[in-house]
Amino acid sequence: MHYPFWDQPIGYGVLMAVIAVFHVFVSHFAIGGGLYLVVNEQLARRAGDTDRLAFLEQLSKFFAMVTLVAGALTGVGIWFVIGLLAPAATEALIHNYVWGWATEWTFFVVEIAAAMLYFYGWKRLTAKAHLTLGWIYFVAAWLSLVVINGILTFMLTPGRWLVTGDFWQGFFNPTYWPSLVLRTGVCIMLAGLYALLVASRLEAGDFKARTVRQAAGWAVVGLAVTALAQAWYWKAIPAAVTAKALESMPTPIRAIMLSLWLAAALGAGVVALVILAPRRFGTVAALGFMTLGMAWFGAFEWSRESLRKPYILVGYMYGNGAEVAQTATYKRDGFLPQITYRTGDDGADLFRHACRSCHTLDGYKAVKPALAGADRAYILALIKGAHLLRGNMPPFLGTAAEAEQIADHLYQRTDHRPLAAIYPIDGLALGRRAYDLRCGKCHAIGTASDKSKSLVGQSAEDLSGLLDMASSLGEGMPAYTGDPAERKALVAYLQSLGLGGKP
Amino acid sequence: MTLPDYHFTSAPLWLVTTLHLLTLSLHLAAMSCLFGGTLIVLWAGVRKQWAGPDAAGFVRVLPAATAATVSLGVAPLLFLQLVYPRQVYAAAIVSGWFWLAVIGAVITAYYAFYRTSFQAHRTGQVSPGLLALAALGLLYTSLVYSSVFALAEQPDLLRALYAKDQSGWVWNPALGAYGLRWLHMVLGALTVGGFFVSMVGQKAPAMAATGRAAFVGGMAAAAGAGFLYLLTLDADLALFMRTPAMPVLVVALALSLAALHFRARKSFALSGLCLFFSVFGMVYMRHVLRLVRLRGSLDLAAWRVAPQWSPFLLFLVCFILMLVVLVWMARLFFRPEPEVESQRKHQP
Ligand code: HEC
Ligand code: HEC
Ligand code: HEM
Repeated sequence: MHYPFWDQPIGYGVLMAVIAVFHVFVSHFAIGGGLYLVVNEQLARRAGDTDRLAFLEQLSKFFAMVTLVAGALTGVGIWFVIGLLAPAATEALIHNYVWGWATEWTFFVVEIAAAMLYFYGWKRLTAKAHLTLGWIYFVAAWLSLVVINGILTFMLTPGRWLVTGDFWQGFFNPTYWPSLVLRTGVCIMLAGLYALLVASRLEAGDFKARTVRQAAGWAVVGLAVTALAQAWYWKAIPAAVTAKALESMPTPIRAIMLSLWLAAALGAGVVALVILAPRRFGTVAALGFMTLGMAWFGAFEWSRESLRKPYILVGYMYGNGAEVAQTATYKRDGFLPQITYRTGDDGADLFRHACRSCHTLDGYKAVKPALAGADRAYILALIKGAHLLRGNMPPFLGTAAEAEQIADHLYQRTDHRPLAAIYPIDGLALGRRAYDLRCGKCHAIGTASDKSKSLVGQSAEDLSGLLDMASSLGEGMPAYTGDPAERKALVAYLQSLGLGGKP
Repeated sequence: MTLPDYHFTSAPLWLVTTLHLLTLSLHLAAMSCLFGGTLIVLWAGVRKQWAGPDAAGFVRVLPAATAATVSLGVAPLLFLQLVYPRQVYAAAIVSGWFWLAVIGAVITAYYAFYRTSFQAHRTGQVSPGLLALAALGLLYTSLVYSSVFALAEQPDLLRALYAKDQSGWVWNPALGAYGLRWLHMVLGALTVGGFFVSMVGQKAPAMAATGRAAFVGGMAAAAGAGFLYLLTLDADLALFMRTPAMPVLVVALALSLAALHFRARKSFALSGLCLFFSVFGMVYMRHVLRLVRLRGSLDLAAWRVAPQWSPFLLFLVCFILMLVVLVWMARLFFRPEPEVESQRKHQP
């Protein structure tokens, strides 16, 4: 809250994902590529295989370009983006880990220099010197992963650091080792997939078959390492986090399931195709594998990011930059005194700093359509009960008066005609809409907080009575404030749930 | 449970500042070789002063110069974020889109340099269009940096701008406060770039002459712009005059002149060294000026220092290792062809 807020229409999550995903692919790719190049160069030189050396030289141009330009600059890009989107978390991280990053920088410089000399040195250097440069390139690149992995995993599992504040305890945190193995596996897999792609464009023949088989081996080994490490990684996350995820966080679980399916499809596909048709292995299949591999890795990263909710630094700072340590201060004095850059519109400033880092008004995770048809009292109740909603939001930590200001801000911007006037629907369809608006935000059907089973066999009067006493059903559950038409439709819908009718 | 507090610096401030200013000087030196060098090739191309193999040879150094600029830029960025995040992020957020576009501009410039260099290698000719594209990318980057870093030093302006517009489309309007600073920097880049061109082109008379002209002319013009810039500081100037920055300015100017002198006597190593320390002096002054400008809103002396010596030691060891490996690799790379100095660099 010590920073201005960048009020841009693309959601923060989207912008972050675009740049981070790209960088993460490229950087893992660069590491795996380095290893692939040197190992193969060593083999080829030993066997005097000039075909392969020529192939590797061509490959190295691409890897050099990727590492030197896209890898390095999207890395800088991440710095830029996190400074813009999560300045407070970045500040906290840098204060704790500046020497980690400074160390990573030394590896980065060596990596860049070695990659460049390796690429320019194919003709110029002796075989031994060239190989040495290649190994330096790979080792430096991998060491930069060794360092950055400590800071990345810290964000999800800070471990004992939360108590001691000790650099090393935060660095070698519970998920450090599984994540390092996993990411190393990813590097190898991506290198294999890329080599497959290049090999797919070779002329059909023996050389192609050999290259395809070997590249496939890399992909499969990398994938296997990764799959084992993923299980280890999951076990290393504190049980409280994983249990909560299984109970009430559909997103990371869906992402993990997806990643498992993608991994299985990829493994099976690579093995099958390589056994069946290494000679005629085509570019389309190679591209398909590459896409699967990236989708797999993307799904993993997605699960990691969403497991972290509602925090950006678990146990330490919420996604909106609110600091756990400041909870008492926020509750007593509110957010406003903490917001350094004010615009004169307090409601807007509060919305920005409390909600806007995860939501937009009408774009990504839009609140405007989600609140269409809601009255002010209900909006207020949702803000006060933010932590009860699906999506694992941070609690609203400001004062009651500030919650009112946000409610006003949102109420002025939403459509508050009755639901039936906003959407031309009636009957069960209207009831379902009403449920989404009034109940589903906390009791999404099919999740652990789904209450439909407790409604079995209740009459319309019972249900209407339940709505009358809604605010007494649970701490934070809002009073029912819908109009009579909406109430009637909602009751009918609730009844259909209780009867086992499919929503 | 009390959570760890992140409001601390993990090494004494003098140490952080030394590393910050040292790495920033290296960055600016590399940036100047790159940016100044690019402007000079373009200009010489327009005037048909040197073309063909000489220019092609020089252009092939530029991707490496870009890599050096970027890699050496990351370290000062880290220290800047450590000490001035509240100022720098705030300014970057207010100009968010322009700031973020720097990444695109640098990537574009980088690929353009590579393409020009590959083309030069194949055809022996420089493609002015691609080179101009790269120069545009760098020009944009330098403008954004100057405007954002200047804004970071004007907290009141920053606050007022944000209150009016939160969209990230704000460009620092106080051109008077940083126009000359930027110009001074570009002219400085021409100076250093001129030195660089004349060194790389020792064996090519036209190229050496162009470089020399940029070196001497750039220095005179940069000095002029620098003094004018000091005059625009108004109230801050009086305070600035009372800091150690003044003697440093004198020394830096003397070092610049010494660089001219040694260059005239063709001792490039000494001349380069003087030039680098003159840049270091400039970087120091700009640091002092920042503190003067932020005097009301930033009190570094009040910071809690809680050194993390073991990670620092790790960094130090890796840093030394980095230097050793870099030198060793360079020797390995340049060993097989112990012929002329100047051709080493642009041998693909
Ligand atoms: C750390 C990120 C985060 C913050 C901060 C946050 N939310 Fe959410 N919010 C979410 C997520 C994730 C969801 C679930 C979205 C989904 O399921 O599509 C959600 C859901 C919602 C919904 C229901 C949306 C729907 O489609 O039904 C509303 C309303 C909402 N949030 C309002 C707020 C308000 C008001 C604030 C500020 C007081 C806030 N949120 C702060 C992450 C956040
Ligand atoms: C802001 C969040 C929120 C909304 C919206 C909400 N509830 Fe609840 N509800 C709760 C909480 C919290 C509890 C108590 C904890 C629990 O049982 O999970 C609860 C409990 C319940 C219970 C169980 C009571 C019991 O004793 O078992 C029912 C039934 C229920 N809600 C129905 C509804 C219906 C119907 C709606 C829509 C009109 C609704 N809720 C809207 C938060 C909410
Ligand atoms: C993308 C990689 C780059 C990074 C990470 C980077 C980093 C930095 C940092 C941190 C500073 C200021 C430090 C301080 O104020 O203490 C700086 C200054 C500067 N950089 Fe870079 N830089 C990069 C690329 C470039 C390029 C390609 C140029 C090309 C022209 C450039 C030109 C400048 C200029 C002109 C300044 C001084 C601005 C001023 O204060 O007036 N930088 N850079």
